[in-house]
Amino acid sequence: MTDRCFTAFTALTAGFFILVLAPGTSAGQAFYPKETPKFPQARTWLQQKAKLPPYSPRRTPDGVPDLQGVWGGPIGGGNDDIEEHEYVDVTTPAQESYISDPPDGRVPYTPWALARRNEIRAGLARGWPGETGERLYTDPEGLCLIGMPRIAFGAQEIVQKPGYVILLTANTYRVIPTDGRPPIGQNAKFFFGNSRGHWEGDTLVVEVTSLSGKTWFDSAGNYFSENTRLIERWRLADANTIDYEVTIEDPTIYTRPWKMNYPKRRAGTAGAGGGGGINAAGAAGVVPASDPYAKEFWEQTCHEGNLEHVIGLRELGFKWFKGVTPPK
Amino acid sequence: MKRWFVGFMIALAAAAMYTLTPTARAAQTPAATTYTPPRTPEGQPDLQGVWQALNTASWDLEDHHASLGVPAGQGVVEGGAIPYQPAALAKKKENFEKRATLDPETRCHLPGVPRITYMPYPFRIVQQADRVTIVHEYVRAIRYIYMNGNPHPRGHIDWYMGDSRGRWEGNTLVVDVIDFNDETWFDRAGNFHSDALHVVERFTPTGPDHLLYEATIEDPKVFTRPWKMSMPLYRRQEKNVELLEYECGAYLLEQEWDKPGSPFFEKH
Repeated sequence: MTDRCFTAFTALTAGFFILVLAPGTSAGQAFYPKETPKFPQARTWLQQKAKLPPYSPRRTPDGVPDLQGVWGGPIGGGNDDIEEHEYVDVTTPAQESYISDPPDGRVPYTPWALARRNEIRAGLARGWPGETGERLYTDPEGLCLIGMPRIAFGAQEIVQKPGYVILLTANTYRVIPTDGRPPIGQNAKFFFGNSRGHWEGDTLVVEVTSLSGKTWFDSAGNYFSENTRLIERWRLADANTIDYEVTIEDPTIYTRPWKMNYPKRRAGTAGAGGGGGINAAGAAGVVPASDPYAKEFWEQTCHEGNLEHVIGLRELGFKWFKGVTPPK
Repeated sequence: MKRWFVGFMIALAAAAMYTLTPTARAAQTPAATTYTPPRTPEGQPDLQGVWQALNTASWDLEDHHASLGVPAGQGVVEGGAIPYQPAALAKKKENFEKRATLDPETRCHLPGVPRITYMPYPFRIVQQADRVTIVHEYVRAIRYIYMNGNPHPRGHIDWYMGDSRGRWEGNTLVVDVIDFNDETWFDRAGNFHSDALHVVERFTPTGPDHLLYEATIEDPKVFTRPWKMSMPLYRRQEKNVELLEYECGAYLLEQEWDKPGSPFFEKH
């Protein structure tokens, strides 16, 4: 349920009919020419971060760092492939890897898991090089299935309350209890997993377990499983930048824990990508920041207008992705 | 007669009339209360927490008997019956007959307002100075109730959940909602509205663990007059309560995907 897959959304503001987005995974997506410079991700951010002076964040009345505000996603072509790649097509411009560790920027799959990822990628039927022509699975996001950690690639508002932190978007939310409660039983599985947060110095540390393993990291078939555990670290690098790092652990499919790391910039400041605007008209750059409604969240839907698209994918023969079952 | 005395008599008569007005039949809700809720740091009545309705309104807003899988229930509509125009009443009856396929809930769509408030899933109220946010377990739906001075945007806008603008009247959160589409229902019994729907909701704390929820429904294309529903909302008492997840669309698609000739994909 992101702006890429929302479909029958009609925005009308200041008396002007703004945009109607048609169904399809490309709805609302930017198109990039071949000469687009490679988008910086983890490698560039690690270099920038190393040069930043220490930053001491403002605190809330509860005495914890104040992370509140609206934060854009990483700038660039979005989450089409979390690994480094050159220009593929208009939806997938050249991009550094989101992965900061291991240093080669590759997901450290086990041999079995890498073969599975490559099989999934070869069956995407997107017209990419190396495809088999078979239609295997389609990006779950195009079916309005999104979960953790992919939701963190978009813009979010952080609100802090005693006992919990809540992350808000135009169409979904996460509540992160910070009151020390234990996680829910691990046999219960959720698209967003089950989040538990605590503060370590100036960092909000969130452990996410109980993941369903039925969604992907990106649209290129990079996946996790129902055994995967995420540890997110949210920290202010300066007044307008959150240094977002997520560690992914799953010994059933990865040879070691690995990390993604990228900045989330405060909406309205330079570099606030990933829908730093709030209502769809604002995000599309149609409404200026001075518009009184530009900072409001307006309704975005997904399933409601997506059925024709879903029927098309099903009739093309794509299978339902039920998660992976690694060999014992 | 002294002017103050005239004023006093008028006030007394008004008070008597107000007191003597018979209470509506189906309003099985706590009476107006003198309860004073705690305040947020911003000085507003504090309605925050995890709440849930505990009634049968999600099946049928009106009095109804039981059927398989449906508990009998007393209505939440003041006056008992929803005042449909004749043609609309016929459509409601048709909706009821075909509810297994026509109810938007069976397609996992956003359920609209006020329906989402009394579906059998908890929701959390989060308050900020210029906005009240209601996050629902059901399909992770969010309602942003803006209190930032902006009026409803110029419309009409077709939204499932409408456009919500709020204000405080004493300890009551009053929410004015317009800009609906005509694709949501009020319940599983086929009670419906048009895109002219106008809802005024009132959330009044009546005790530390109870809210009185009232919704006045106006829709000149469907009803002969405005009508009102009311019910209590209960604070969930479990110490570990949290909103979990009901990803209706995901479960529905996964169930139907591998069924050859699934009517879900065929009927549209």
